[in-house]
Amino acid sequence: MASNHRNGDSHIHHLPKKPKLSSTSLITPSEIQSEFCHHDPSVARINNGSFGSCPDSVIKAQQVLQLEFLRQPDHFYFNCLKEGILRSRTVIKQLINARHVDEVSIVDNATTAAAIVLQRTAWAFAEGRFEKGDVAIMLHYAYGAVKKSVEAYVTRAGGCVIEVQMPFPVNTNDEIIHEFRKALERGKENGRKIRLAVIDHITSMPCVVIPVKELVKICREEGVDQVFVDAAHAIGCTDVDMQDIGADFYTSNLHKWFFCPPSIAFLYSRSSPKCLDLHHPVVSHEYGSGLAVESAWIGTRDYSAQLVVPKALDFVNRFEGGIEGIKKRNHDKAVEMGQMLAKAWGTNLGCPPEMCASMIMVGLPASLAISSDSDTLKLRAHLRENFGVEVPIYYRAPKDGEVGVITGYARISYQVYNTFEDYTKFRDAVNKLVSEGFTCNLLSN
Amino acid sequence: MDKEEDPRNGVGNGTTTKKPRLSGFITDSEVQSEFSHHEAGVARINNGSFGCCPGSVLAAQRSWQLCFLQQPDHFYFSVLRPNLLRSRALVQTLINADHIDEVSLVDNATTAAAIVLQQIGRRFSHHQNDAVVMFSCAFPAVKKSIQAYVTHAGGSVIEVDLPFPVKSNTEVITEFRKGLSKAKSGGRKVRLAIIDHITSMPSVLIPVRELVKICREEGVDQVFVDAAHAIGSVPVDVQQIGADFYVSNLYKWFFAPPSVAFLYCRRSNASSSEIHHPVVSHEYGNGLPIESSWIGTRDYTPQLVVPAITDFVNRFEGGSEGIMRRNHVQVLKMGKMLAEAWGTSLGSPPEMCASMVMVGLPSKLCISSDDDAMRLRSHLREKYGVEVPIYYRAPKNGEGECEPKDKDGLITGYARISHQVYNRIDDYFKFRDAINRIVLEEDLY
Repeated sequence: MASNHRNGDSHIHHLPKKPKLSSTSLITPSEIQSEFCHHDPSVARINNGSFGSCPDSVIKAQQVLQLEFLRQPDHFYFNCLKEGILRSRTVIKQLINARHVDEVSIVDNATTAAAIVLQRTAWAFAEGRFEKGDVAIMLHYAYGAVKKSVEAYVTRAGGCVIEVQMPFPVNTNDEIIHEFRKALERGKENGRKIRLAVIDHITSMPCVVIPVKELVKICREEGVDQVFVDAAHAIGCTDVDMQDIGADFYTSNLHKWFFCPPSIAFLYSRSSPKCLDLHHPVVSHEYGSGLAVESAWIGTRDYSAQLVVPKALDFVNRFEGGIEGIKKRNHDKAVEMGQMLAKAWGTNLGCPPEMCASMIMVGLPASLAISSDSDTLKLRAHLRENFGVEVPIYYRAPKDGEVGVITGYARISYQVYNTFEDYTKFRDAVNKLVSEGFTCNLLSN
Repeated sequence: MDKEEDPRNGVGNGTTTKKPRLSGFITDSEVQSEFSHHEAGVARINNGSFGCCPGSVLAAQRSWQLCFLQQPDHFYFSVLRPNLLRSRALVQTLINADHIDEVSLVDNATTAAAIVLQQIGRRFSHHQNDAVVMFSCAFPAVKKSIQAYVTHAGGSVIEVDLPFPVKSNTEVITEFRKGLSKAKSGGRKVRLAIIDHITSMPSVLIPVRELVKICREEGVDQVFVDAAHAIGSVPVDVQQIGADFYVSNLYKWFFAPPSVAFLYCRRSNASSSEIHHPVVSHEYGNGLPIESSWIGTRDYTPQLVVPAITDFVNRFEGGSEGIMRRNHVQVLKMGKMLAEAWGTSLGSPPEMCASMVMVGLPSKLCISSDDDAMRLRSHLREKYGVEVPIYYRAPKNGEGECEPKDKDGLITGYARISHQVYNRIDDYFKFRDAINRIVLEEDLY
């Protein structure tokens, strides 16, 4: 990449992306705890994946911006907002290796980005550019909101939706690639055209890192019109390189793993003739000026979360290795904690280490008798209310012929504020439940 | 003063809630203190654009924000929904909606317009030769939304001219009838009429109740009232007004932080089951209020502070009604003072304005385009510390007699002055003197 000194770029004077080399300027563990002191101290917060986290220095920066608006909103609107958004978009463009800042729009969250991409598909059906029965492909484990969005915008407009079955637990990328190819074949049956493939970069539940680069390649080989990667978790969690991945549309939330406050996401759209008609569904006077400009003003709102991206980058660069260092350490720790828990409970992980990033699925003891989605919510609430542990639980229904399998997995996250005690707290809570003969049907509705 | 609210009338008779504390109403200096975050030295006479939010409501909002940051899962599962419901219930009472299911909270009127127009647009795909009617001075975002969802789907748009300066409701009603006839000509069906309750630029209070009645008489399918400015500015009774959809921003005149608006959707409206938030989440299909209550991870705190707002408003003599009355009286007084000082006139009679009024600017300013208006506004902000939006009113050909004039020529510019509880008479003197100086010194802008 351009900023790598080893590539002989030292003669080019651009601002370094690397953190300061002097170790005295690296953030210390106690500074980290201080940055997250607003987190409820009684909670083992091992669910960074759902709602993310935001350090105090970024929150303070956000509050300064909120106050600036309140002080003199007209001045803020006319003189500050647009350039602030452009600054954030420029930082993101560099982070994700997009070619041009025009390709980068900022929106509230991946849910909004999905609506934007899918609305475009709906118009194509309505205007007859796509034929009724043309296909959209998505993963069976696609996020709930995205599935509904596909229903609202594609099925409703006459499109046909095909789900890629996904194995879980999963052992290799090949298993996923195999299922994907099968689904593509189904999609192309009877001469249908596959107009859109919606692929998760990191599935939510169950959580697995998907080999998106390979899947995008396969889509190109098989003549899929466009590929939309829903990478809600990706930025700050796994490698995000737009040139490398090659998708047409790519979205990720910065409030999950990139330390921004709720909420902000980017939607990348590859500049090419086919990507001209993406619109934000909330139409303002900026309509028609391109998605990035449209998204930068959708009526009066608090845009401050979208303006602190430079501050989040500053925070990240206080860590050794910057975001790369954080990602690596989170990954190593998530795996280590996952293995510790699986060993303590006598269970297994849901995927191999190379198929996870900063989250991992850990099997829960079968004796807990998790036998439905509703059980997982109840158990999760039970852990929150009675043990001070926050962790999402996934119900993995037994397949035909399977006996005595693990039916519940916990999705543990590791982020910079986590400590070993968070996971031992969880370990001990589950051990206690098991030793007391707890089962999910003991929990009332 | 309203007898019921006067403490001298013996409060101990059991009536409660709407009365302010017996310890007394909010004092002048307390009001200034609540808005001490406003930039000192700026005559802030543009409450209409971005509204304002008192310190006590901001403090309430911060509490909610902290609650989320402390333990977001707990916030999501246990705090968010019941408190959104509380806010909606208060709004329901405020606007006299029949049922809480009719009340949704969204970001702003711009979002509400997209919701209503998306739904209308979907029906257009099946029928050609249908029309939508709106005022020519409809808010720019609404006009673009119509382009995006109606024109794009093949519908026609008929614009109704707003006479300005305006002398009476009759003038507006006459123009509206003309517009409806034109829309219906050639056998077209009018699917939707969009009526502003208080237009933005130029700002005039529209006789919505009468216009809605006319729409019903003339067989218009649906009526959408864009009342962005209304709540906290004029009394709002949605049953009396009788529209199918009614939206108003709470952050403009009802002291909410940016941003929150309510969208009222009459239950008896046949299409109410087809109304959706364009950002689709897992709540899709559960009704707009529920869909809007979760559109992905975001900061929902502006939607949670309605109870804090009603507390604030009830500290004032006469509560919200008292505030509205005093704002109206003051803005007219200030408007007249300015018009007299400049030798100009107001753009509408007293009964056709609420807390904003259009004041003619001296013809010597030679405002002859929208650009001129914008430049004057910036000039006033930067050189004179006055924040006020300026409207360019193009002279109409062949109406010499009726054209607004001052002793030096045609009046082509109007300032939209606002009055909110934090305004002082000095704000308007500052504006008066600034204009006088610009005219006297031929201060180019």
